[in-house]
Amino acid sequence: MTPQRADAEVAVELRGITKRFPGTLANDAVDLTVRRGEIHALMGENGAGKSTLMSVLYGMERPDAGEIRIDGRTVTFADPGAAMAAGLGMVHQSFKLFDSLTVAENVVFAAEPRRFGLVDRAAARRRVRELAAEHGLAVDPDARVGDLPVGLRQRVEILKLLHRGARTLILDEPTAVLTPAEADALFTVLKSLTAQGRTVILVTHKLREVLEGSDNVTVLRDGRVVARLRTAETTADEIAAAMTGRAVELDRVHAPGTPGDVVLDVEDLTTDAVREVGLTVRAGEIVGIAGVAGNGQSELIEALAGLRRVTAGRVTLRGRDITHASATERRARGLAYVPEDRHAVGTAPAASVADNLAMGHHRRSLSSHGLLPPAAVRAHARRLVERFGVKAATPEVPASALSGGNLQKLLIGRELAHEAPLLLVEQPTRGVDIGAIQNIHDELIAYRDAGHAVLLVSAELSEIRGLADRVLVMYEGRVTATYPKDGADERTLGLAMAGGAAPVEVGD
Amino acid sequence: MNRIAGALRSPVTFSVLAGVLIGALFLVGTGADPFTAYGAVLSGSLGADGIGSTLTTVTSVLGLALALAIPLRAGLINLGGDGQLVLGGMAAAVTGLYTPLPAPLTVLLALLAGMAAGAGYAALAALCENHFGVPLLVSSLLLSYPASSLASYLARYPLKEPGSSLPQTRQLPDGVALPAFGSSTVTVGLLLVALAAATYWFTDRRTAIGYEIRMTGLNSRFAAYAGVERGGLTLRLMATSGALAGLVGAIGVLSFPYRFLDGALTAPGYTWTGLTAALLAGAAPLGTVLASFFFAVLQVGGLSMERTTEVPRELTQVLQAIVIVFLAARLRFPRGRLRKKAAV
Repeated sequence: MTPQRADAEVAVELRGITKRFPGTLANDAVDLTVRRGEIHALMGENGAGKSTLMSVLYGMERPDAGEIRIDGRTVTFADPGAAMAAGLGMVHQSFKLFDSLTVAENVVFAAEPRRFGLVDRAAARRRVRELAAEHGLAVDPDARVGDLPVGLRQRVEILKLLHRGARTLILDEPTAVLTPAEADALFTVLKSLTAQGRTVILVTHKLREVLEGSDNVTVLRDGRVVARLRTAETTADEIAAAMTGRAVELDRVHAPGTPGDVVLDVEDLTTDAVREVGLTVRAGEIVGIAGVAGNGQSELIEALAGLRRVTAGRVTLRGRDITHASATERRARGLAYVPEDRHAVGTAPAASVADNLAMGHHRRSLSSHGLLPPAAVRAHARRLVERFGVKAATPEVPASALSGGNLQKLLIGRELAHEAPLLLVEQPTRGVDIGAIQNIHDELIAYRDAGHAVLLVSAELSEIRGLADRVLVMYEGRVTATYPKDGADERTLGLAMAGGAAPVEVGD
Repeated sequence: MNRIAGALRSPVTFSVLAGVLIGALFLVGTGADPFTAYGAVLSGSLGADGIGSTLTTVTSVLGLALALAIPLRAGLINLGGDGQLVLGGMAAAVTGLYTPLPAPLTVLLALLAGMAAGAGYAALAALCENHFGVPLLVSSLLLSYPASSLASYLARYPLKEPGSSLPQTRQLPDGVALPAFGSSTVTVGLLLVALAAATYWFTDRRTAIGYEIRMTGLNSRFAAYAGVERGGLTLRLMATSGALAGLVGAIGVLSFPYRFLDGALTAPGYTWTGLTAALLAGAAPLGTVLASFFFAVLQVGGLSMERTTEVPRELTQVLQAIVIVFLAARLRFPRGRLRKKAAV
């Protein structure tokens, strides 16, 4: 393990940071000490105050109280530019790069090497090569950023910070979009950076990588620091308990289901991003699709839900050909769908919780002769809110007032309530708190055990392994591997997701 | 209680009050007394002499405001109100002039013809979007011009009243007119429009289609995901919208001066006032009614203010504009002590 550097000098120190937003206390007298040369993980559930704290540190928010010390000197940052000048650098969750420019142009942007007042492109390329070689961040300086995979774009972001001389790097959920192999590569890079005396603050909710990659952990809950732990001396359970305030059972692998008749049969399905995919899902079975984002999983699900045109192939739902059926017809035939994007697709954030819960039910159980009595909508909402434990002040508050986890409970509750023979569900627990994840997993398993078919897409391997009775791996639009439950460990799956699978066929 | 506090704090209240205040500053700046001027607006529009005129204006403004609010509820903007209005008026005039039926039946037929003409023409704009990908905003606006030109041509040439110097059709036969209340210019047209408003309110609040329209307006991808078919909805909403615009045209022709006079339907700019009212209300049914009434009062009262105080009636347009600008900026009263408990 990395040696403890308790004696090392302090690179970043936050003392008594308090930040209030209307109605919430986002940070309540938070102290954070990050020593030079360490990887310090900042953990907490959604709304715990991690992002606010980092915004304060990076000059994007002014704290109401408290002070920031960089290398022992007290500073105040008026804006992120001032923070950068003091040696801080941040990689945001959504990258801030120009897709149409080259790697070198992106890296030197706003701090270009100049020659006779013009940008010195040769020097820029040289600089990128030097930085890349020095830190093991191999990337072609002339490649267009838009053509690069996500893992390499992240390297460009890191190079950008190094070019500007950042001594402390803040990374916000850096592995959310990476394959396991890419994540491992990232941690190798981060460790070499800290070995050179740079400091890394890692904002994340992934326990595994914190345990493997960090030196110290600070856990926030409800805006307060609830734990300061040395990684070498802690466990995943201890961190999870600190984050949630109670004991949580992590990475449970659920017992397999008892598959019945085929509900969904897909043959050679092809769309713009899906290539000849074949799969079946049976009643009482969860089929999991693993894959790195952007390998056709979303498009496959959209095509199955009737929201994307199918160019070839055949889709059969409970014996009826629905290849070219509309979304409405599919739902009537017995399909429910929890989409990946909760805000843009799965809900209308400005509409009330009750209205959001009525969608899809409004033409069936809730209405008669085209009338939709408001009392029926409200009663339906109260039923689902109670059954699925959605925390909403009243059914009349807008859905946008709900936390990510609660919004997801609303969405899953609404779709499960259809009791449709087939449920399509994408990223059911992305951005959802640990406490709520367990709850959602239990609901999905109960739904399966009630004899429904579930097709699950997830980027979380532990989720796929915990829930799925069979696992399919998608890579570049194709199903490249199929495994039975427990047929593949995380390493094998990770390799398959990166395109390195020897296709394994299993009977089902 | 909470609802009242909410309404008081809403951007609409703020915008209207800000408009009135800034208007008062303008009045002071021009040397006029704001109280006298605003008093003239109110007495001129709501007093015994003005109320009839205001209600006649409300008929047109509210009719068109509803026509624009209904598609707006689903996030669709029908900019072709003028064309649909004029075609409705022309269809009603032709029906009124050439139907060999008893007068009451002719009136009914003329109203239906006006609605059908407006509906069909608006549906054309929807089809352009659904099948050729022309944005509704563009197709509805551009289709409006040939409609106006066609009606103008008909009124100037084939259907022109012989011997008249005006571009107008002959007057409708005796009895082919909407019954008026007493000796006023207010006709049963007002009741028809009020009925449309009530229907809209009911549909919006209490029917499945109304729910689908609202959800489409709040997030069209959400509605599509759940199986609301967008093309069909666009077509139906536009047809309804056009039918209302056509109805207003027909009401205009079946009231004084009982003929189609080129430009008479569009000159007062009811389409744009209606659009403003619908936007001000966020297309909500009751709000659309209130906003329409507010603008009708401004329009009629402005004329009377000009007569009695020498303040130009353009001031009321300035007022309208300020209200809209404030509303677009979504300003509202600070929360202060009215702050509600934050939702979970």
